[in-house]
Amino acid sequence: MALSLRKKQLDLITRMLHLNQQQSSPAGGGEGEEEAYKILVVDGPCISLLSTVLRVGDLRKHGVTLHLNIHKARQQVADAPAVYLVRPTPANADRIAADAAAGLYASFHVNFSTSVPRPVLERLASATAASRSAHRVARVADQYLDFVCLEDNLFSLAQPRAYVSLNDPAAADADITSVVDAIALGLFCVAATLGAVPIIRCAAGGPAEMVAAALDARLRDHLLAKPNLFTEAASSSFQRPVLCLFDRNFELSVGIQHDWRYRPLVHDVLSLKLNKLKLPTEKYDLDDSDPFWVANSWSEYPEVPKEIAAQLAKYKQDVDEVNQRTGGGRDGVEFDGTDLIGNTKHLMNAVNSLPELTERKKVIDKHTNIATALLAQIKERSLSDYCDCEHDMLRKGIVDRKTLFSLLSGEGTKEDKLRLAVTYLLSFEAPPPSELEQVEAALRESEVDMSAFLYVKRIKSLNTQFSAAPSTASRNSIVNWAVSAVTDGVKNYLSDERQVALTRRVEALMEGKPNPEVDNYLLFDPRAPRSGTGGQFRGPFREAIVFMIGGGNYGEYRSLIEPGQSSQPSKHVIYGATEILSGVDFIQQLAELGEKAGLGSGSSNLPSQ
Amino acid sequence: MHPSRSAPASFRDRTNEFRAAVESARRHAAPSPAAASASGGGGGPLDDSLSAASAQSEFKNRASRIGLGIHQTSQKLARLAKLAKRTSVFDDPTLEIQELTAVVKKDIGALNNAVMDLQVLCNSQNESGNLSKDTTNHSTTVVDNLKNRLMSATKEFKEVLTMRTENMKVHENRRQMFSSSAAKDASNPFMRQRPLVAREASDSAPPAPWATDSATTPLFQRKKTNGDHGASSSSTPAFMQQQQLAVQQDSYMNSRAEALQNVESTIHELSNIFTQLATMVSQQGELAIRIDENMEDTVANVEGAQGQLLKYLNSISSNRWLMMKIFFVLMVFLMIFIFFVA
Repeated sequence: MALSLRKKQLDLITRMLHLNQQQSSPAGGGEGEEEAYKILVVDGPCISLLSTVLRVGDLRKHGVTLHLNIHKARQQVADAPAVYLVRPTPANADRIAADAAAGLYASFHVNFSTSVPRPVLERLASATAASRSAHRVARVADQYLDFVCLEDNLFSLAQPRAYVSLNDPAAADADITSVVDAIALGLFCVAATLGAVPIIRCAAGGPAEMVAAALDARLRDHLLAKPNLFTEAASSSFQRPVLCLFDRNFELSVGIQHDWRYRPLVHDVLSLKLNKLKLPTEKYDLDDSDPFWVANSWSEYPEVPKEIAAQLAKYKQDVDEVNQRTGGGRDGVEFDGTDLIGNTKHLMNAVNSLPELTERKKVIDKHTNIATALLAQIKERSLSDYCDCEHDMLRKGIVDRKTLFSLLSGEGTKEDKLRLAVTYLLSFEAPPPSELEQVEAALRESEVDMSAFLYVKRIKSLNTQFSAAPSTASRNSIVNWAVSAVTDGVKNYLSDERQVALTRRVEALMEGKPNPEVDNYLLFDPRAPRSGTGGQFRGPFREAIVFMIGGGNYGEYRSLIEPGQSSQPSKHVIYGATEILSGVDFIQQLAELGEKAGLGSGSSNLPSQ
Repeated sequence: MHPSRSAPASFRDRTNEFRAAVESARRHAAPSPAAASASGGGGGPLDDSLSAASAQSEFKNRASRIGLGIHQTSQKLARLAKLAKRTSVFDDPTLEIQELTAVVKKDIGALNNAVMDLQVLCNSQNESGNLSKDTTNHSTTVVDNLKNRLMSATKEFKEVLTMRTENMKVHENRRQMFSSSAAKDASNPFMRQRPLVAREASDSAPPAPWATDSATTPLFQRKKTNGDHGASSSSTPAFMQQQQLAVQQDSYMNSRAEALQNVESTIHELSNIFTQLATMVSQQGELAIRIDENMEDTVANVEGAQGQLLKYLNSISSNRWLMMKIFFVLMVFLMIFIFFVA
């Protein structure tokens, strides 16, 4: 399990692309290996899932000639097998049945990205039986791949607006249950891909407990059937990972904070989606294949241009060297007739190094453009001041009133001001009311939509009224629990430690020593017998999967991964969330909740999504 | 239908369930007459696809055979590379390497022809037949993929050959080091007259001065030995001299041939460089495109089209304003005209 999640997902996808047959070993034994060229048919969500791990060149390598959208009109390719990777919805099942009836492809290998529910399977079966084309369907399989793996240790379930759905005061019970089930299914896919049954820990109350219970039930049901997905892995992995479930309300401030590092800035300001960046003039890919990105994405922004300049200088140096060696500076080097072989050797080396040099130049150009675009935005919105102010408020607990008010009435988009105000609200347990009024007045002056601010304020004020700890997992107590969780989170910042509260909890859970912060966390072990109380394994764990319900963040990701990498022996942490939110998106969700709770200021300043 | 469980099976095969569901659905469906008509109806579209399929299946068979051939050739290349890497001076599996090289060369030539034929077949099918666009895309992609694989196999072959020639040069140098010391001692008596003898054999100086010199040397030597014809005591040294002469002649010829070979290989390398440049230029950047690239483009195109339509609508409605203005002006003129005339 030291393998990254992404590699495991890629392995499974590759095996699926090879029609789920035994992967023949590359060394020897290629007799009779016939590569069929297949067509890949996917739907929208599955394309996002594939696009972060595979490129078109990789598809071609695995023998896929065309990749098509299931809902587009497709034509017949009579002699090729087709591999379908779709979500198990009735619409997709109907479409597959229609394709089979029309005989579009020679054989159909249908893979569903998660477990297909029985009704959908029967629907597909009856449709194909009715059109007498069921013989064309060669295989139907559940793949358990329904998560988007953005990096080696970062995944997202691509379930947008989960925070809103869970915290909506007007949400029906059925809605909440369906959201919780979807999250549990996604987590089950992650566990199945890793091949390990985790031990689940979560705080009591709130969505985390509901998700934990649902996941536990699902795992238990699955483990009853033998052989199941986890049987082979059980013997190999001695260590089981711990799955820590958290809710966004635990620490709201991380979700809206302005972060000054390169990668979170790009995500926030330039809206990085699925490792894809779209500037007005260009489109870029930012992932592990980009060496500059891998090396510099976590450094603070001012260092990035310096690094770019250094790389550019080195590149120019290398180019000059190549030119010199191949007689570019011919006045200095005399063309020695006897040194023919030496010259051609140099020429060949130069030619071989040309692609590498062009690659480096492209990377440098790309990051220059990105950094320039960022700089323009940063200057316009004076983001550095925002970052400093928020950092002071959160970490040191001091507020510089002058900067605060100058920022609130100065430059920056409306969302920036709102985020600053909410951070102010969250960093002090009881801000002086006069100051609070001044902040609110400043916000109103700048015509900022107050819904989010009022919503957070209300949650904070509700805490003073509700003192009892929430016990049941009903809709009302989510709000109660959210309230207590928010103020808990606030308390965390008053401590001196640099670490984010989440990291502290995760470390405590992984170490397994008694710790007042995490002792009252619930524990679910799907492998343990339900009735018995024996063997509640509390750690220490070497591997952890941290899941944030309601939206995660690159800053949080970094703060979790960093200590794990530096500690001895290295601990492996995988981070995931229902979606990876930028501060802008999250504040919009808060504003939406505020509107639903009827706290809106009535002005239609809410930016549409 | 269960996949073998020795490999980590992180998917659940539902095929049996599916087949069972199909069976039950079929049983629930209407009894025999409907079933017969359904099977007849099912046979119809099957026939249509069969004719197209037969044309296609030839393509598919050929493509899979070529793919298999490329795979086998790359395995042979791997063996060849392993053999060529062995750098012992005396235990050189030359014969084996040459055999394998010849086999691989023949294979690659045959595969090249097969791919060309397949391309021709693909083009003819695409142009003539009423095949769908997807099928033509599929066929062209298959042919491109096969061409790429063949090209990479050929490149690998070239690399193995260059490595082999380099190793051979290294061997030759070592052999020279071992044997040229003996040659140097033998040539010492002739040192004064033939200073060119001791020249480094692997130097790639143009062979012309050597050619003339080595042509004259045997003559001169023969004249010299002819001169010593009479003396019997000098006959054996003359005989020895002749033997050493023969050895030297051989070594001259060898070194000259080697020099020629060096020049030839240099020219080959240059041509390699140029073909490499050409392929680098022509290799399309398909490898690095993202899968969801086109999705956004289509959305953008649709939005762009919508924008264009809206603009057109605007221009139409603005024309209306223009027409109304003109109409109004006309009315004014009419009124004035009527007013003045009437």
